[in-house]
Amino acid sequence: MLSEFTAIPGRSLAFWRMVGAMLVLVLMGAGAFFYVEHHGHAVTGMNNQIVWGLPHVFAISLLVMASGALNMGSMSTVFAVKQFEQFGRFSAFLSIALLVGGLAVLMLDLGRPDNMLLPMVYMNFRSMFTWNVFLYTGFMTLCLLYLWTMFEYKQYKKLVGTAAFGWRLVLTTGTGSIFGVIQGREVFGSAITAPTFVAISLTSGTAIGILLLVHTYRRTGRQLDDKLIFGMRNALIFFLALVAYLLIVEKFTRFYDPSSYAVESWILNGPWAWLYWLGVWGVGVLIPLVLMFNREIGNSVGGVLVASGFVVAGAFCFVAHTLLAGQSYPFDLFPGYVTSSAFQDGVAGSYVPTLSELFLGLGGVGISGLIFLLGIRFFRMLPEKAVAPAGWELPWTP
Amino acid sequence: MKSPTSLAGRLSRVSFLILVLIAAWTMALSIGEAGPPQPEKAVRGPCVRDAEWMRRNHMDFLKHKREETVREGIAVKSESFLACAGCHQSRERFCDRCHAYAVVAPNCFECHQYPK
Amino acid sequence: MTMDRRSVLGLGGAIAAGVALAPGLHLIAAPADKSTPETAPVRTGKRWAMLIDTTRCTADCTECTQACRAENNVPLFGDPDRDIHWIRKVELRDQNRRQAPISLPVLCNHCENPPCVHVCPTEASFIRHDGLVLIDKHRCIGCRYCIIACPYKARSLVFYKTRPPRDANPNVPIRAAGVVEKCTFCVHRIDDGKPPACVEACTKANKGAMLFGDINDPNSEISQRLLKEKTQTIRPDLGLKPHVHYKGI
Ligand code: HEC
Ligand code: HEC
Ligand code: HEC
Repeated sequence: MLSEFTAIPGRSLAFWRMVGAMLVLVLMGAGAFFYVEHHGHAVTGMNNQIVWGLPHVFAISLLVMASGALNMGSMSTVFAVKQFEQFGRFSAFLSIALLVGGLAVLMLDLGRPDNMLLPMVYMNFRSMFTWNVFLYTGFMTLCLLYLWTMFEYKQYKKLVGTAAFGWRLVLTTGTGSIFGVIQGREVFGSAITAPTFVAISLTSGTAIGILLLVHTYRRTGRQLDDKLIFGMRNALIFFLALVAYLLIVEKFTRFYDPSSYAVESWILNGPWAWLYWLGVWGVGVLIPLVLMFNREIGNSVGGVLVASGFVVAGAFCFVAHTLLAGQSYPFDLFPGYVTSSAFQDGVAGSYVPTLSELFLGLGGVGISGLIFLLGIRFFRMLPEKAVAPAGWELPWTP
Repeated sequence: MKSPTSLAGRLSRVSFLILVLIAAWTMALSIGEAGPPQPEKAVRGPCVRDAEWMRRNHMDFLKHKREETVREGIAVKSESFLACAGCHQSRERFCDRCHAYAVVAPNCFECHQYPK
Repeated sequence: MTMDRRSVLGLGGAIAAGVALAPGLHLIAAPADKSTPETAPVRTGKRWAMLIDTTRCTADCTECTQACRAENNVPLFGDPDRDIHWIRKVELRDQNRRQAPISLPVLCNHCENPPCVHVCPTEASFIRHDGLVLIDKHRCIGCRYCIIACPYKARSLVFYKTRPPRDANPNVPIRAAGVVEKCTFCVHRIDDGKPPACVEACTKANKGAMLFGDINDPNSEISQRLLKEKTQTIRPDLGLKPHVHYKGI
């Protein structure tokens, strides 16, 4: 059933132009890194209230997408959805590419990047960060092993693929828990944050997979069965529903608790409300759902691509909202009192990102892109011809 | 590209050449300077440990001390970082002179005050 | 040629192994300590705490914050969003404006369950034997997770590169950009048997709003007053067991 896996030829000018563009992004990121390194973080928009800014939004979005990108592989290996087996290599590889880009941004934004390796030397096992160090390196290793088994040792594929799938769930739970375990800031500190991150990783990972897959096939003139894309569309719709469900449950439980009225109405109505309504809900959930449920748009590959684009942007908004709204909510040191001080007590933090942060974040995207492009250029990642198995019909179409 | 061994071989040969060049270059640079450096003499003595031992191990000594002082709270005044400056009175003529020669650049003085 | 290449590689491997092992080794190969009375382990059994009497603190007084800046060489950059505050004066007004406003200093609470220490990946933030929550700046990687976790806003990242001020206190190192810092209860003074600079300044200015002491010693003044007077901590609901107590809120 499977046609032969090949590397893309990658001889065209367009290919090298894309590689060049990614290199430019990487260089911009490197420039931003040295600029911030040289001047201190004062040249970024970050301050003592909002200490994680745009670079972290980029990094965490990439990391969340990385674990989600493994979906296609897991679907075939773990859940025996045979038609996606042909994208297993692609999916595991995409995970690695995104992971490296995201981690690079996190590392390069450290206040003291020269101490970057200390977390490997001294470990505090109560820290979510330490866990994440393990989870990321473990995930990377498992993805590489998974790739390797898909190339050479098919008999272990199921085992390693299942391990990678389990790991990715824990991994994204870990990423979400970075915020979920924080009780000191009212907006964070919810048990449902981690599951929501998992759901967001499912949507955004599938969406980025669709985007890159279709573009790669189109640009290399290979044949890709539309039915496969529509299969992924159905999965995407399901995942989006999951996100919507978790978002609603969170608000529902929070609004049941009088002590969080202030926080919650601030989120829905405060300075970051636009990001919540337009970004998380509009761009991230509603628009793509409407598009994909539309009979005409939902049944065209172009329409699914647009919807996927929205989903990826929505994941970005979700991470941005979690981080920025979460940090700018004023500390309530003395409930019942109005506080004021020279250190912005009692006022919401303000954050205006700067170019250097944007460049640093884009540098991470560049790294991921570069790895991805070179990977499909030099390794046999994708089948020449991706067709749905004979007799397989989509269970549902809009 | 036809035979991977030849590519790998070429790559390793090129990188070896680069390594040799770098080594030769640094050696040429250090020969240009006049032999091992002469750090400034201490104004008093003796050193907190045997001077010969200190020459080789002062970094371990300092790092061990800082672990003890900062984390365990065992502050030994006479062996503190500040105390070094009491006898080795110039950073430039003592620490830096050696370090420039050994091509190490400890970042301690970003935070620690030490007379120039 | 082959030999050379191999030895170069071997050297590289040795360096890599050395880099990997070095941090562990320097602890093992530590020089033997002279056993002077100075080297006795830190005064264990103590638990430092502070009591702040807000009824004696006035809005116009900044003795404590100034003394802190002088003692610990904490600069003001003139960038309110990014200034470093080890201790700051906060003004409280009740929402209906019925009472007179309260003024009080807020500083690191040196919690018994410090969330900053829990989240620090490298154990740069740690609890010393005598309960002080400190930052080992040598280990800090500047990830800022602790700033996220601290509910008191007690921590600041150093956003700017600084130079030592001309009249710097030589006993306290200055700072490097990208490292997180906060109040240390003036650990260098405590180790010398002196109270923190803010407390001393408050006492000198005849305010007497700040009291510092060991709460493990039942006879210390602070233990006695905590027993008798009605005090509270900031955000007790979080369960952090802070050790800066306030009276009169
Ligand atoms: C009581 C004075 C004193 C103190 C304090 C002191 N030293 Fe020394 N140190 C000496 C003397 C004396 C020598 C021998 C060489 C000389 O006369 O300059 C020496 C030698 C050295 C050497 C070897 C220099 C060489 O010429 O090879 C190093 C390195 C050194 N000390 C580091 C330190 C450090 C680091 C500290 C702080 C922990 C320190 N010393 C504290 C007096 C002192
Ligand atoms: C006798 C020459 C000499 C003197 C004097 C000297 N050093 Fe060094 N120091 C060295 C050498 C050589 C190294 C590198 C050792 C190595 O890398 O194995 C070094 C390394 C160090 C390191 C570790 C650097 C790293 O990257 O880990 C520190 C810290 C240090 N020195 C501090 C000092 C201080 C502080 C002084 C002045 C009080 C001083 N040294 C004076 C020779 C010297
Ligand atoms: C980011 C700033 C920073 C850097 C860089 C730094 N230190 Fe420190 N160091 C401190 C601070 C702050 C203290 C005091 C900690 C305290 O009192 O809690 C300290 C304390 C120490 C102490 C114990 C106190 C004393 O005076 O003996 C030693 C020893 C020490 N440092 C050694 C070093 C060495 C060696 C280096 C370079 C490899 C270094 N430090 C780099 C900030 C720094």
